[in-house]
Amino acid sequence: MNIETPPVAAEHPVMRAGHVQLRVHDLDESLHFYTQVLGLVETGRDAEQRLYLKGWDERDHASLVLRRAKEPGLDLLGFKLRSEAALQRLHDALRAADVDCRRIAAGELLHTGERLRFDIASGHTIELYAQKVELGNGLPFDDPPAWHDAGERGAGVSRFDHAVLYGPGLQQVHKLFGEVLGFHLSERILEADARDNFALWLSTSSKPADVVFVRHPTRGRLHRLAFRVESAEQVLRAADVFSMNRTQIDVGPLRDPVARRVSVQAFDPSGNRVEVFCGGYDSHPDATPLTWSWKRAGAPMALRDQRARERLFPELT
Amino acid sequence: MAVTGVLRPGHVALRVLDLDDSVRFYRDVMGLIETGRDALGRVYLKAWDERDHNSVLLRQADVAGMDALAFKVRDARTLERFGARLQEYGVATERVPRGEMLETGERLRFVIPTGHTIELYAEKTDVGNGRPYLNPEPWLPNLKGIAPVRFDHALLYGCDVDGSRALFEDVLDFALVERVLMADDRTDLAVFLSCSNKAHDIALVRHDEDDKLHHISFLLESWEQVVRAGDILALNAVPLDIGPTRHGVTRGATIYAFDRSGNRFETFCGGYEYYPDMQPLVWTSDEAGPAIFFHDRRLNDRFLSVVT
Repeated sequence: MNIETPPVAAEHPVMRAGHVQLRVHDLDESLHFYTQVLGLVETGRDAEQRLYLKGWDERDHASLVLRRAKEPGLDLLGFKLRSEAALQRLHDALRAADVDCRRIAAGELLHTGERLRFDIASGHTIELYAQKVELGNGLPFDDPPAWHDAGERGAGVSRFDHAVLYGPGLQQVHKLFGEVLGFHLSERILEADARDNFALWLSTSSKPADVVFVRHPTRGRLHRLAFRVESAEQVLRAADVFSMNRTQIDVGPLRDPVARRVSVQAFDPSGNRVEVFCGGYDSHPDATPLTWSWKRAGAPMALRDQRARERLFPELT
Repeated sequence: MAVTGVLRPGHVALRVLDLDDSVRFYRDVMGLIETGRDALGRVYLKAWDERDHNSVLLRQADVAGMDALAFKVRDARTLERFGARLQEYGVATERVPRGEMLETGERLRFVIPTGHTIELYAEKTDVGNGRPYLNPEPWLPNLKGIAPVRFDHALLYGCDVDGSRALFEDVLDFALVERVLMADDRTDLAVFLSCSNKAHDIALVRHDEDDKLHHISFLLESWEQVVRAGDILALNAVPLDIGPTRHGVTRGATIYAFDRSGNRFETFCGGYEYYPDMQPLVWTSDEAGPAIFFHDRRLNDRFLSVVT
C-alpha cells in the first residue's frame, strides 16, 4: 500500500504557483491566443524572445512565460516563497533530502530574483524563488475600483492558479512536496485496485490545489494549466469565447466533483491544454483529505460529459 | 409587449411507463409540485412559480411520449375566435368539456400537420405560487430537487414542418424567431416559434415520423442553477443526453436528460427577448453544429434521432 500520506513540514514558506514556462510553436499566434482569447495581459519580452504574461488581477510581473520550441509542453513550474531566507532554508532542506539543486541567477527571467531549480521524480522541473517585481493589477493600491477593463477581454481570467502534471514517481513526488516543501494533500484519486494513488491534489495555501500530479508512464508531461475566473457564468462565457474563436474545446463546461470545480478545458494553438475554472473550497492542512475511488472519480464527470472519463488518459504535451 | 391571443404553453400531457416512479422523479428530482390526481389516475404537477393549477400531466401508458401540448389563451372570447379561425383554415376541432382535466376549462383540441395533438384553453384555476398576492416574498424556501420556475416550451418532431409552422403563424399568430436550414439552403430543418416575448414557445424539427416528442423544457433563472441541475441529475444517476452547454439558436444555456420513461427533458436558462418587429435569425446547414451545440460545434446522433 502506497497511499499513506507522508507528514507535512511544519513550516509553509511556499506561497503559490508563481510562474510557468511553456513551449509553444509560434509566438505570434500564441500571444494572440493568450491575450485575446484567454485574456491575459502581456508584460514583457526578453533578449531570448520569450514572452511574459499575467492574469489581470495578478500583481507580480509575469505568471506565464512562452518560449518558442518545436515541441509544446512545460519547461518548468516555479513557486514563490515568502522570503530570501526561506529560499536558503529550503535549499538546505532539499540538499538534505538528496535533491540536486541549481541556482539560476537573478534576472534570467525578467524582473525575477534568484531561482533554485531542481528536477523531481515525475520528470518535471520545479523552481523556487522569492522575488518578482510587483507591477500591480492596473488598479491603484489606494482606494481601488472593483475591477479593471483588462478583465473584460476574452475569457478574462484573473490569475494562473495551478498546473496538472502527469508522470511517474508519484510517491516520491508526494514525499518531497509534503515533507520538504510543506504542501498538504487535499484530495486524491486512487488506482483501480485502491493500492496506490492515481492523482494527488497538493496545496500550499487555502486552495484545494497549487499543483496536481497524476500517475503516467511518461516523464515530465503537462496535462493542463488552470486559470481562475470568479463564477460559473464566467466559465460559460469562456466556453462561448473559445467557440467564437474556433478554439478546440476538450471538455466542458462541466462540473468536476474533484475540488468542486466548474471547468472548461481547451487547447492553445500548440496543443497545450488550458483550463478556465471557478469553484473549489477552503482547504487547510488539518482537514482529512477527500479520497475518490477509481470508479467514482470519473463517474459523476462522465454523466455530465460522456467523453470526460476517456480524458483521464488524454493527449498530453 | 402586451401578450394577447395565445399566452403560453400551459400544460403538457405526458405518457410514462410507471406512474409512481415517474411521480417520484418529477416531484423529487425535477422538483415539481404535485397538485392533484383525477379519477382516471392521472397525476397533475406544476413548477413552483407557476400560478395555474397544473402544467405537467402524467398518464401511465405502454409507450412513452406526448399525448397533447396545450396553450392557454387570453379569455373565452379568444378561444371562440381561434375555434372559428381553425375551422375556416380547414382544421377539424374537438371540444373537450370543462372538468375533463382538473381545474381546467373547456379545451379546443386539434391535430396539426406534424401529427401532434394541440389544445387551446382559456381557464385554469389560479392556485398561486405559494406566496400571497399582497406583499409577497421573492421565493419559496425548502423546494426539492431542481425546482424550475416554469414549464417553458416543447420541441416536436414530425414530417410536415411547413404545414405545422404555417398553422401556428397563420391561425394562432405565432412568429418565426429562428430557423435552421437544410443543405439545400431553403428547406427548414428546424423552426423556433414564439407567441410571446420569449425566443420560443414551440419548436418543430423535420423528421420521418409524425407525432414525436423531442423534449419538454423547464426554465431556470441562471447558469448557476443549470450547473446545480446537472449536479442533482448526477447525484440521482439520471441519464444525461448533453450539457451543460450553450445553444447558438436562442442562446439558451442548457442540460438535456431523460426521464424514467425515456422522455427527454431540458432544464435551461437564457434566451433573449423577442419582439414581432425582429427579422428571423437563420442558421445554415454547415453551421448547424454551433447552432445546436455552440461549444462542441458538432451534433450528436442521439440528440438528433432519439424521440418518444
